[in-house]
Amino acid sequence: MASSDIVQYKTPARKAVDILVGVFLTIYLIWTLLTFVMMFVSSFKDLLEAFKLPEIGDWLGVTLFFDFTPTFRHYENLFLDKNFGKYMMNSIISAGGSALISVVLGSMCAYALSRTEFRGKKDLLFWIISTRMAPVVAVMVPLYAIFRNFELVGTLPGLILAYTTFNLPFAIWILKGFFDNVPYSIEEAQMCDGANRFEAFVSILPLVAPGIGAFLILCVLFGWNDFLFASIIGSGGAKTLPVATVELVQPQNIQWGKIMAAGVVTTVPMMFLGLLVRRYLVTGLTMGAVRE
Amino acid sequence: MQTTLTNGIADGQLTNAAKLANVSEDQFRMSNGVRVIDYQPTSRHAAPSNRYYLWLILPAVIVLACITLYPFFWLIWMSFHKVDVLKGDVWNNFANWRRLLGDRSFGNGWLLLLKYSAMCMLMEVGLGVLLAVILNRSKYEKVLVTLFLMPMMMAPVVAGLVWYYLYNSTFGWYHWLMQSAGILGEKSILGDTGTAMWGIVLVDVWQWTPLIILITLAGMKRVPRDQLEASMVDGAGEWRNFFQITLPNLYPFLLIAILLRFMDNFRFIDAILVLTGGGPANSTKILPTYLFDVSFQFFKLGRGAAIALTLLFVTIILGLILVKVFESPAGKVNQEGS
Amino acid sequence: MASVSIKNVWKYYGETAAVKDLNLEVLNGEFLCVLGPSGCGKSSSLRMLAGLEHISSGDIHFGDRRVNDLPPKERDIAMVFENYALYPHKTVFDNIGNALKLRKVDPNTIQQKVERAAEMLEIKHLLQRKPMELSGGQKQRVAIGRAIVREPELFLFDEPIAHLDAKLRAHMRGELKILQRKLGTTMVYVTHDQMEALSMADRVAVMHEGVLQQYGTPQEIYHKPVNAWVAGFVGEPPMNFLDCELVQENDAIQLKHSTFSVSLLPEQASIINSAKLERKVQLAIRPDEIHINGKQSAESIKAEVKITEPLGGDMLVDTTVGKEKVLVKTKPDFTASMGEECFLSFDKQRWHVFSSETGLAFF
Repeated sequence: MASSDIVQYKTPARKAVDILVGVFLTIYLIWTLLTFVMMFVSSFKDLLEAFKLPEIGDWLGVTLFFDFTPTFRHYENLFLDKNFGKYMMNSIISAGGSALISVVLGSMCAYALSRTEFRGKKDLLFWIISTRMAPVVAVMVPLYAIFRNFELVGTLPGLILAYTTFNLPFAIWILKGFFDNVPYSIEEAQMCDGANRFEAFVSILPLVAPGIGAFLILCVLFGWNDFLFASIIGSGGAKTLPVATVELVQPQNIQWGKIMAAGVVTTVPMMFLGLLVRRYLVTGLTMGAVRE
Repeated sequence: MQTTLTNGIADGQLTNAAKLANVSEDQFRMSNGVRVIDYQPTSRHAAPSNRYYLWLILPAVIVLACITLYPFFWLIWMSFHKVDVLKGDVWNNFANWRRLLGDRSFGNGWLLLLKYSAMCMLMEVGLGVLLAVILNRSKYEKVLVTLFLMPMMMAPVVAGLVWYYLYNSTFGWYHWLMQSAGILGEKSILGDTGTAMWGIVLVDVWQWTPLIILITLAGMKRVPRDQLEASMVDGAGEWRNFFQITLPNLYPFLLIAILLRFMDNFRFIDAILVLTGGGPANSTKILPTYLFDVSFQFFKLGRGAAIALTLLFVTIILGLILVKVFESPAGKVNQEGS
Repeated sequence: MASVSIKNVWKYYGETAAVKDLNLEVLNGEFLCVLGPSGCGKSSSLRMLAGLEHISSGDIHFGDRRVNDLPPKERDIAMVFENYALYPHKTVFDNIGNALKLRKVDPNTIQQKVERAAEMLEIKHLLQRKPMELSGGQKQRVAIGRAIVREPELFLFDEPIAHLDAKLRAHMRGELKILQRKLGTTMVYVTHDQMEALSMADRVAVMHEGVLQQYGTPQEIYHKPVNAWVAGFVGEPPMNFLDCELVQENDAIQLKHSTFSVSLLPEQASIINSAKLERKVQLAIRPDEIHINGKQSAESIKAEVKITEPLGGDMLVDTTVGKEKVLVKTKPDFTASMGEECFLSFDKQRWHVFSSETGLAFF
């Protein structure tokens, strides 16, 4: 048995490098987390407390940041006066609905694409992936026009369909990779055992279920975090959390506390979902090109 | 079904051999000691239909076609017309396209997009690879990676808003930090044409460096261990090892990472919209942002369509390159062992 | 149980023919091995029997039933796959019982049948495990168990023991043969391993490049190969081939090699005589049908020892006759050093002569 890591030998230079590395990691960690800390802490600050800043160059004044009495006013305000409960529901329904449609249609399509060969299959696959890569702003105008014709603008079904434009190609592309990894002989064995073709397809679903679940969640994440579609297709009746958060920004009356609280409400659920599918993140975010 | 039997083999022998092979005699031919068949079957059964798979593929493809192909063709139509919702579209003789030629904001938008992407990419790849190398040998790899990837979970628009607050010149903590460190003057980083680009780049670096870390780490796990060990036995030190073995193995991964990030810069302008909206003085008006303005601020839908098509065209080319990389032998190797 | 008849069957993938005009009759209860190198069309043939591939031309009958257009589920077959194709998320019990469950057999009967099959295969203690936790040999038994609980008309085996190690493979060969005799079910078994084919089968079909070369009992295949290809493919170590000419001398026919000349047996000569005399032929003889000796005797051939390879119970001797290599299998008590002279005598009853032109066997 070989050891799991490549061996390293300690030298004095190595130790010095290790210390530098430690410092660098700490700085990067602070840089990553600082924005989150700022957001969380500020969401519990009153307006006046939020504006307190030390003098320029007064490094010890940093303590001022933690000098405040926590208040839940902003959260209460969001949910009681600003309808955030409803927006949250909109976000859940639109992101969840689109994820569900994408994964159901996507797994059927991905399975078939994984199991057959036909002329033009490569082109079909490229078209599918390119729809995923297309910049949203570019297709927004015609999409808006079409959606208006079908009276889908400002409705949840409209938003679900809009999210499907990027979630469905994503699901097909990724899930095809999953089905490619399941040996066809398992379905063949099923068919010999007396299953028809559709039953054979269903029988291998448990094998790809963890992957399908993970990508369902990733689709939710993509939909939830979207802003452009939600602000234009969803404007009116289907306001989601990111849009509602941005709308809190008003030129004359800056409600930083509320905005930060809204940011927390929007971000925290996704942080949990992200951790849940941690193992599949790389695959998901690179369109399956890289696996962990 | 003809016998192509010649020279010297007697009928008796043939019968014997045919009997042993359990085939009828008239279909027998040998070549180099092997029985071969060079005739065709009299008829072929009709090929089975693949309708089953078609039914599985079709729903997704139809949905996708409706929400992508249809808008795409509409986009082309719009780019050749003066789009007027009330009076109907009027053919305007390539006016939208001709406008682009003389449109300084358009050319500028492309330049800024390239500048923005280059700045993001340099910082993200540099930082990401450095961190991946460090993390790969750290005992805290799992915990640290999990913490580092948090920013990716945040909606870009929310990230933009939070940073906007922190950049604020009167009560933003990041502004205070930069001013105290002497990097910045009175003006907010977003308020000055010279620094605004840095402002939006920093947010992108904050949010997406983790992706580069993840991809590079995944790549480093695939560096063949025997290559590293062979090179160590050959006398290479760690530095040499890294540049000679690890880095070349990482190239396909980095290429994928860079292409993906580049295309995301086309796709995501959420953060820029809330941070600067393209200002000040158009210094951050990268092309997608400009397109957003043309279509949704000035409602020049025809001209917007033309701009959108140039953007789509470049995306498709990048996509083709990306798919090529996916399919390259290096890309294939990466897919194993998942 | 059923007999199988394959008539003029072709399989095309696009424009490439994988199986060409295959004709086979398998009797009821017979154990047939389809033997051939990879890419010879043997797996395609098996998959057409299973209904996993469409038949491009021709007909397949199970008994009186024409099965060309039946899906696998209606053919009443059971198949064991090369990679076992077990359902990774199901227990061994569920894997074996899967087919019965699909057929809506009641749970009690399933329980009984699965346990009986497990007992037969000695895997009863593994029933609650998942395939991941099993060794290769155990997985293979589960795959067989899944096939036998079905009590199908026909068993299809696609190189089922190819991935086991050599020792286990030898063991499984015996067990599979016993199992087939016990069940009495018709079995078609595809393999590239001639040991499997010769040791287990009632009859062997040898295929090459999509074409059936020879169909017969293991003895026929081994002792009466119809052409040079079959002769060279079957047998380990492989047959020796020597280019010779036929020369009529008095009553006898002589096989004349560049360095030696031997006479054919009278009955062999008469076969040659009934054919038109062909001059160029290949003499083929198996390594274990050559006697090697340090001293010269009648009709022995002078050769030179290149190297000896002791194999425990046997000894392989690489020799050269003229410029051609001849491999001899002998007893380990033979000793000779490199370059030493030795003498070979052939077992004339066992040798074969093939036409150089066509490769067809005279005898």
